[in-house]
Amino acid sequence: MTAATSVNGEPPVAADRGPGAALRGTQAHQGPGDLTLTSIVLFTLGAYGVAAGAATGQEAVVAVGIFAFTLFGIGIVWPIISLSRLDVTVGAPTDATVGDTVFLHVDVHGRAPRADIRALDPPGQWWRTAVPGAGTLPHAAVRRGVFGSVRVQLRTSAPLGVFVRTRTLRVDLGAPITVAPRPAAAPAVLHLVPEERVATGAALFTRGSGDTVRSVRPYSPGDPARLVHWPTSARLGEIVVREHEPPPERGVALVVDLRGPRPETAASLAAGIGAATLAAGGVVWCGTCEGGVPVGELVANGRELGRRLARAGAGEPARPPEGWPIEMVKA
Amino acid sequence: MSGRARQEVNGVEPAYRVVAVPAAVALGAVGAIAAQHANVPWILGALAGAVAAMLGVLALPSIPTRRATVVLLGLGGLAALRHASFAGHDWSGLLVIWAAATMLTLVLVDRADAEMVPELDGGSPLPSRARETARVGALVSLIVIVAAVAMVPSVTSRLGRRVWPGASPTSGDQSSSASSLQSSNELSLTSRPRLSNTVVFTVDASHADFWRGETFDIYNGSSWTSSFGFGNGEYRRLFHSGPSVDIPPTPDDHAQNNGVDFRQTYRIEAGYSDVLFAAPNARVVETDKNPLLRAPDGTLRLANPAEPPSWRIASQGFGSGAVYTVTSRSLPVTEEMLREAKGDPPAAVTEQYAQVPVTTQRVIDLARSVTAGATNTYDRVKALENWLGDNTQYSLNAPLSPRGVDVVDDFLFHSRLGWCEQIASSLVVMARSAGIPARLVTGFVPGSRDALTGRFVVRERDAHAWAEIYFPGIGWQGFDPTSSVPLAGDVKSSGSWLSDIRHNAVPLAILAVMLVIIAAALPEVLAARRRRRARRESWSAEALHRLERAGRKAGRARAPSETPREYAHVLAERLGDDRLVEVGATLDTALYSARGAPDEARERADAVLTSL
Repeated sequence: MTAATSVNGEPPVAADRGPGAALRGTQAHQGPGDLTLTSIVLFTLGAYGVAAGAATGQEAVVAVGIFAFTLFGIGIVWPIISLSRLDVTVGAPTDATVGDTVFLHVDVHGRAPRADIRALDPPGQWWRTAVPGAGTLPHAAVRRGVFGSVRVQLRTSAPLGVFVRTRTLRVDLGAPITVAPRPAAAPAVLHLVPEERVATGAALFTRGSGDTVRSVRPYSPGDPARLVHWPTSARLGEIVVREHEPPPERGVALVVDLRGPRPETAASLAAGIGAATLAAGGVVWCGTCEGGVPVGELVANGRELGRRLARAGAGEPARPPEGWPIEMVKA
Repeated sequence: MSGRARQEVNGVEPAYRVVAVPAAVALGAVGAIAAQHANVPWILGALAGAVAAMLGVLALPSIPTRRATVVLLGLGGLAALRHASFAGHDWSGLLVIWAAATMLTLVLVDRADAEMVPELDGGSPLPSRARETARVGALVSLIVIVAAVAMVPSVTSRLGRRVWPGASPTSGDQSSSASSLQSSNELSLTSRPRLSNTVVFTVDASHADFWRGETFDIYNGSSWTSSFGFGNGEYRRLFHSGPSVDIPPTPDDHAQNNGVDFRQTYRIEAGYSDVLFAAPNARVVETDKNPLLRAPDGTLRLANPAEPPSWRIASQGFGSGAVYTVTSRSLPVTEEMLREAKGDPPAAVTEQYAQVPVTTQRVIDLARSVTAGATNTYDRVKALENWLGDNTQYSLNAPLSPRGVDVVDDFLFHSRLGWCEQIASSLVVMARSAGIPARLVTGFVPGSRDALTGRFVVRERDAHAWAEIYFPGIGWQGFDPTSSVPLAGDVKSSGSWLSDIRHNAVPLAILAVMLVIIAAALPEVLAARRRRRARRESWSAEALHRLERAGRKAGRARAPSETPREYAHVLAERLGDDRLVEVGATLDTALYSARGAPDEARERADAVLTSL
């Protein structure tokens, strides 16, 4: 599997793991915690009980204070320990579009009474799960790019609700998820493209039949009867059919320059133009800049276009070959 | 947590309703304690607490249930602190119930909060509430028990005070105080003592002992008096400028050089007391009272016993909450030592304590006949005790002796029914009749030991009288003839099952620690065994993992779309090892064949992978 580049400078992730695209969380960031009202109550009872009981020699009062302090201590230590032993693996689809809800399959490993989990970037809703447990975590794809990891957050206050421990994990994905820009409403751009494209070995896109007869050839079973060229057939003594020139290709070379104040708008516009052009039967050549290197090639479908644009970054885009009609999209 | 506990305005979520039960138990227990503290029937307090908890949890939908519950528990905790002192009854059981219910409430509230968070789609459901509560409750309980048993005594001893002034008693406190707490020159045997369950003081001590108050040496047939005169200088005023005062030993105190120290800390719960109770042979007293009055017999007071109580200044005595500490020193004696005590007592002891008492002849004859067969003082005293045990009965409802009749004679020959004063007086009188130096002692028995704190709780009903016998070379030794006398049937004994727990605190604490460790580690051990078993069952997953590891080392990682057979082929070419082809075939068979790979093929594959 090729290493995936990323828009935001994340290092590429080489997927050399076993079956499945999920990888374990490798980088853990210890988050903060929150003390609750319960902690304040228990601490107050404990301090008062120990101080007052010891001062007056009343061991029963000291016992009440010790009890409160013990619950306070258990309530803080237990969630810290239980969360520290948890690990998360995440499986994600390989493609998405900005604005889509991506469903991450999460597996929480370890042992704890229970835990809440949510995705970050942006912070999503909390969902509860048993530990160990698994499920599907919806996550909004809000940024264009290629992401080799996701951040999830775990929290628990079990068992006493004294202290809410939160822990953030960055989980590496086996296969990076490519988030393409959402296509903006745009018209198709169809211009004649040069025929040299045929000689370059690029895929031929023959659709329908043109009007110009190029040559004749012997009849093959299945050829339409209307294509039989009777004069030549009579002359040659065998049935021949007309072969037409392919229709002239139409399309556009999208040159996407994301150097500017609104790169995401430009990417969306380019995606809209490209999608409309492809839907209209045209061909699209896409030139972008990836990691400072100009990259340009024909795209076969909307998915390839989306992936190309997902990787695009600020920089001098590639220029199309001579003769291509250019549609410049600038940020 | 903010935004976590969502409640419908119209009612409480079902998950929170169950919280009301333990909350009601917790506040009910505290309410019962508070009610008894205020001399109100405990059931009313329990009901009030339970209803308050129910209303707080269920009837305040506009307030998050978690917040309402925690506030209620906090108020209950404050009430527990306020009323946890010893002022009448043993709260131990109710405090334990309060603690357990409070912990369960917190667990259930947190679980209810968790259930309000939506469940992960396709996720595993939470374990049942009962199972989680039971497991967590058991673990937390064990930890709390270990902490309480281990830390309460040490915290109190480290931070606790040995001396505390307490409240300043008033004349009203003095007049309402029991006679057993006020020093007196006379002990009447013709009046019935006041005995109630009111706690008079508590003692923090390592072991039980009789808390000695006063002694009496002159018997006149109906009462005991002390021959010590305040006016003739026999009492010594002990002034001290520091926190403690040394008590000079008496001439007949043989423990002063060879004795074992025994420290006791007393906390007065009654409104007034001017007797400084202590285990025998007090050596050092730590108190803020100044001066102390020391009698020739070693007993200590704060007021002149010859003065009528109405003449005494109330503020000179101990008030409620006063704390003082006594270090006593006594010889560790055995029966053999007492039997072998030889020699004559000092003349002063004989003159004061061994003269034939004022009593009837038949009492004297009885004493001499009972002790005729014994050859030493100890055996003679035990013979007298045994006779009393065989021929008399203990009863608090025994009739008072008629006026003008010798109380001991009436008890031994007529009623044969009495309480500690008659019984102990009989032993002292008979011992003196047999020429044995003896005196009557009043004070308190050890009392019941509180289950939670280990302190001895002493009540009015624990007031007691016993005898002290002098042994040459050893000193005064206490004898409690009442313990030899069987109960008359109208006396109930009391005990606390929690006291047994307290007495066995150390082994229980060790057991609790072991249970905590087992309970915490057992799931991990079982999970590890399940994981090992799963790994053993999945040979193919393990073998594939090993193949991939070898491939990574060779610089060729497996693509997700590659089957094990294809990958093994590629590695075979890369590494020049044709055996890997068979390994790949075996893996494919194990993974995708219904029968799985044969054992021989697995073993060969393992061998190849090991060699890599």
